[in-house]
Amino acid sequence: MSTLAQNYWATRIAVPDKLHQGLDRISHALFGLARRRNSILRQMHLEAEQIAEKSLSFKHVSDHRLRERLDELQQLYRGREKGREDILPEAFAIITEAAYRTIGLRPFPVQILGGMAMYKGYLAEMATGEGKTLTACLPAILAGWSRRPCHIITVNDYLAGRDAREMSPLYNYCGVKTGVVTSMMDPAERRHNYAQDVVYTTSKEILADFLRDRLKVGLCHQPSRRLLRQLLQSDRARHDGLVMRGLDTALVDEADSVLIDEAVTPLIISQAQQNHPLLLACARAEMVARDFVAGDDYRAVLKYREVQLTESGRRKLDLISSSLPGIWRSPGRCEELVVQALTARAFYKRDKQYVIQDGKIVIVDEFTGRLMPNRTWRQGMHQAVEAHEQLALSDPSETLARLSFQRFFRFFRHLSGMTGTALEAAGEFWQIYKLPVLTIPTNRPCQRLHAADRIFVDEEAKWLEIVAEIERCHATGRPVLVGTRSVKMSEKLAALLTAKGLTFSLLNAVKHQEEANIVAMAGAPGALTIATNMAGRGTDIKLGRGVAEQGGLHVIATERHESGRIDRQLFGRCARQGDPGSSQAFVSLNDELIRRFATPQVRGVLSGAVASEAPGARKVAEKSIAMAQRNAEQLAFKQRSSVLKMDTWLADALSFTGSNVDF
Amino acid sequence: MARRSSTFSESWHRVVDQKIALRANVKARKRYFRGELWYVLEDPFNNQFFRLRPGAYDFIQRLRRDRTVGEVWEECLNRDPDGVPGQEEVIQLLSQLHFASLLYYEQPSDSANLFDRYKRRKQRELKSKLLSIMFFRLPLFDPDRLLKRCMPVTRLLVNRWAALLWMGVVGLALKLVIDRFDAVTSQAQGVLAPDNLFFLYLGLVLVKTLHEFGHAVVCRHYGGEVHTMGIMFLIFTPIPYMDATSSWSFRNRWHRALVGAAGMIVEVFAAGLATFVWAYTGPGVIHSLAYNMMFIASVSTVLFNANPLLRFDGYYILSDLLDIPNLHTRSQQYLRHLVEHYVFAYQDSTSPVETRREAGWLAVFGILSGIYRVVVFAGIILFIADQFLLAGLVMAVVCIISWGVVPLVKFIQYLATSPRLARTRLRATAISVGTLTGVILFLAVIPFPSRFRAPGVVEAVEHIQVVNYTAGYVDAVLTPSGTVVEPDSQLLRMRDQELDLEIRAAEAQKAETRALEILAMHRSQADLEPVRKRMAAIEDKLTNLRHHQQALMVRSSQRGTWVSPHCNEMVGTWIPRGTKLGEVVCPEQFRFSAVVSQDDASSLFDGQLQRAEVRLYGQGGQDLQVESYKIIPFQHDRLPSAALGWKGGGEVPISAADQTGLAAAEPFFLIYAELTSDPEVTLLHGRSGKIRFSMEPEPLLSQWTRSLRQLLQKRYQI
Repeated sequence: MSTLAQNYWATRIAVPDKLHQGLDRISHALFGLARRRNSILRQMHLEAEQIAEKSLSFKHVSDHRLRERLDELQQLYRGREKGREDILPEAFAIITEAAYRTIGLRPFPVQILGGMAMYKGYLAEMATGEGKTLTACLPAILAGWSRRPCHIITVNDYLAGRDAREMSPLYNYCGVKTGVVTSMMDPAERRHNYAQDVVYTTSKEILADFLRDRLKVGLCHQPSRRLLRQLLQSDRARHDGLVMRGLDTALVDEADSVLIDEAVTPLIISQAQQNHPLLLACARAEMVARDFVAGDDYRAVLKYREVQLTESGRRKLDLISSSLPGIWRSPGRCEELVVQALTARAFYKRDKQYVIQDGKIVIVDEFTGRLMPNRTWRQGMHQAVEAHEQLALSDPSETLARLSFQRFFRFFRHLSGMTGTALEAAGEFWQIYKLPVLTIPTNRPCQRLHAADRIFVDEEAKWLEIVAEIERCHATGRPVLVGTRSVKMSEKLAALLTAKGLTFSLLNAVKHQEEANIVAMAGAPGALTIATNMAGRGTDIKLGRGVAEQGGLHVIATERHESGRIDRQLFGRCARQGDPGSSQAFVSLNDELIRRFATPQVRGVLSGAVASEAPGARKVAEKSIAMAQRNAEQLAFKQRSSVLKMDTWLADALSFTGSNVDF
Repeated sequence: MARRSSTFSESWHRVVDQKIALRANVKARKRYFRGELWYVLEDPFNNQFFRLRPGAYDFIQRLRRDRTVGEVWEECLNRDPDGVPGQEEVIQLLSQLHFASLLYYEQPSDSANLFDRYKRRKQRELKSKLLSIMFFRLPLFDPDRLLKRCMPVTRLLVNRWAALLWMGVVGLALKLVIDRFDAVTSQAQGVLAPDNLFFLYLGLVLVKTLHEFGHAVVCRHYGGEVHTMGIMFLIFTPIPYMDATSSWSFRNRWHRALVGAAGMIVEVFAAGLATFVWAYTGPGVIHSLAYNMMFIASVSTVLFNANPLLRFDGYYILSDLLDIPNLHTRSQQYLRHLVEHYVFAYQDSTSPVETRREAGWLAVFGILSGIYRVVVFAGIILFIADQFLLAGLVMAVVCIISWGVVPLVKFIQYLATSPRLARTRLRATAISVGTLTGVILFLAVIPFPSRFRAPGVVEAVEHIQVVNYTAGYVDAVLTPSGTVVEPDSQLLRMRDQELDLEIRAAEAQKAETRALEILAMHRSQADLEPVRKRMAAIEDKLTNLRHHQQALMVRSSQRGTWVSPHCNEMVGTWIPRGTKLGEVVCPEQFRFSAVVSQDDASSLFDGQLQRAEVRLYGQGGQDLQVESYKIIPFQHDRLPSAALGWKGGGEVPISAADQTGLAAAEPFFLIYAELTSDPEVTLLHGRSGKIRFSMEPEPLLSQWTRSLRQLLQKRYQI
């Protein structure tokens, strides 16, 4: 049974600020820079070191005394009493000691620093292997004490479970209960887990639960209205079946991937709805579309992925429109339908955009190459593709609720996070989430040797050289990790390596737990691992015996990614915690990044220059690649902020629906 | 709303379960615009209007509080599959209606959002107020009840008889004005005199108050409500205004047009009455006031109110008569569409017009009104700057910002970020930059003939003024004026008895001296020298006198035409020495002496002059080539002929103190241009005309800059 206040907070969300425009935006950006100034970091670093020192003074305090003190602190935080900022160092110091006693790890000063930064609402940029899991515990415990809902967002179910499991002794010791929410849970389990002080979950789960909760309360999501209604209608179930306790604090692990890279894809809660006329119409339109001849009846514009009917196409359309069912007879709707069918024919290619499994269309993510079951294209299009493949048409799904992660994470009162790479996107973090980025120094100086990029004119030469490099390195017994951009590329490389008779492990970010185990072993002597960018994230690669002497893990990037951050993540896999390690990227001028973001002329000049090995050509090529990467980043940012703007506009325009969330 | 909006929308779930309806007080009216059926929604509480297509209206009017949007949509879909708006369209429609506050919804709307919207609207209003500072409005009170109470009286005013009366009064007044046209025009010159300004303003307020009540009364008569009356600061001059926008919902467009015209009708009527008052009163306060009312009611009506190019009454009348609501906005939309569609190749741009005729009207109106606005505002700014330099500068800055900088920035923003140009941004930018560069190149690089004109008169190169060397009475004119004379021919004979007597006295003295000389020769040799000296002096005097006597016969010193229009009147009069009697003009060689103002003088001395031509008044068809010209590098202040000055009907300002009409107000430079003789053109001494100097071709931009600078320098001594 929850209290009235808890009930109130369950559907309360912080209304995010509007995006700033014009001059406001500039002043806001300046303010953001001020929040990130170096003196703050220095000051906090000093404090963190003092806390670390102080924690040593608790070394000889008995467990009993320590727990008593923890209880007292918890009460202070629970009651949100005024002086609690003053006891922050003490609280951190005791938690530090507690961590040592329970899980045998004593947070380094930089970890304490990271924890403080998150507590203060910063996004902590911490290098891979610096112990982010433990770092997150520090602010999470404080938030747990306050009993405000605290969520730690991880990248996948496996990581959520693992982190919670590994850290639970510490939480228990500090009197904080933890819960884990993963995709396979039923509502009762979810409710139980969400009820805990600190909840480990993934962004997809929390957003889906949030949306489902909102659907349950329906229009009475405004806390006071909801409470009033519950008081007035006592016969109605007092408990309206919410699984969550509300949104308050979110600590996002791998924040750049959650808050930026995957932020614009909306999460959609939908249900299948029967719509026979649409199915009939789609089937019919597909038959009609077969008579249309590309070029004569319609033109397919590749650049914008759209189909335009010509005059003769329109004439054909007039002839057949009467054969369509019901509402589709009218010229406008008929054209819409046929254009859709033609679009399906022209732009949706089997094994590229989708595959067929068990007589069903399964969408393929074009960037990562991963299958995305249970995803559908927008209404009608999915059916059109199904009709094109002559499969049984599935019922169109009806959207019940949709919300992008970008908007969702703006609803938290206290959002903070950590990641290995954030600095490149610091502006975006500040502008959209009001998150200032703070770069936490590494515990030990980084020993990574990063070699300059190898640049090739064509792709085949690049792959040959990559294989040769892998062989060379493998022969010395050093472990090698090869990062690829897509599943297709990783498979291509796998084929090449198999041909050479090498054994390797291939990771495609599908089975998280197994992959995490494989990645954890990637540091063993002689290990050879191929992984896509997302594979095994969040798992440390610990060096095997004797590897450090050989120079540590060697990381090869087979391509530059569209975002510099993701490249850095890959390179960050080696040389963690002061270990030795090396990394290098192989780039060809035919890579997708260059093809998309450099003009053909530039590419032509570059190819000439690189092929002739003219002095200075390397420099120019590197610069151009960096520029292409910057262009790509800017374009992506623009797209993301325009999505947010559109969302905000729509919410504004439809504010009569009584919602300030997309429903 | 594009025809091809898709049937399904991804946001449909947001509205599908809503129970929404039009607010109860929203009235819907059928209206035909250009023969097409529309429905106009009107909310009398806040005077919001919204027009809908029948298909959309069919959907909207089915919305009820007990049915969801989804249900209604399905129903419409089954009834009329083709006409029903697609889901996207429905969402757009609902959001527009929501923004216009015409929707009732069960949900308490997000109140923060409402406040936010209110705040933004206020900000927008303030901004538009600041931007249209020349039409700043200050609402004062609600005249609706007053008007309602006056209805019984005002009902008498809007009918056929009133129209007849109006015609009678205006007709008679017009006749009166024509009768006394000279009095009207003579008094018009004093309208802007400082002592009349107060009456002018008083007249303005009176006339405009009547004008506004005219609108209000007619609007009320046809059932429209009038809720706002206040003061508008038109170019900082407070005058009354009122808001008759409720007439927009009248179904009959002639009624709408009549509401628009009512102000002017009343004004003209008032002007008619004022004409009678003016005509039958003597000079005094009432007389001046009446005159000023006449002046304002006629001039302001013609220049401003009736002119459809400014957004006053004429505009609304035109808009009603053409049946194109929002003429201005739509013409801009249409022009924008033309540019986007045909120049920037934005394929999805939808034309806001339905018929060709409308398109024509919109295009013509859009272009003309743009040009006219600029002209009128430039005029107003110059006028105000003349009176108050600082105010003029402030206004100029405001205008430049609001019409120059703001649109430019917006346009650049549009080019850079508008999603409409996403596909053709390169083309759009290239064309815009190209056009701009083209225009700038055209103006700044391509030289254009540059010319200036100066007034002047034809003078014979050899012309002498005939002057008498000796004073005397004119005895006779020996050669009549206009005769060609040879050198030495006798022109005029004068006589002077005193001179004769003096000669005789001198001769007597000579004789006496002669005698004295002889005496001295004999008697005293010592006296001889002084006597001889005296003798010489007397002979000198005598010669001199004789010379004068001879000069009494006035002769021509050269060949030419003897011109002396007044010589016959001189006969018998005493003419002092040195009086101009006439001229002898040599008819073979003429020159044109032109008066060049200081502004243009700089180009004279730069040596840029290439060619000069002269055109004489009355013979505009013939250009007289100038063989050579001579600039007198010294400034003059006396005109070569009084015909060039204001007093003589010319264009050179002359000094008010001068009676002869020759002293120019500002110093000028003289140019003597040698004319070739042309058989077609009779060159006559004293004939006036203009000389046109062609200078080295120069780009238009620098020509304009120079003219603008000279204008500023001259007007404001900057």
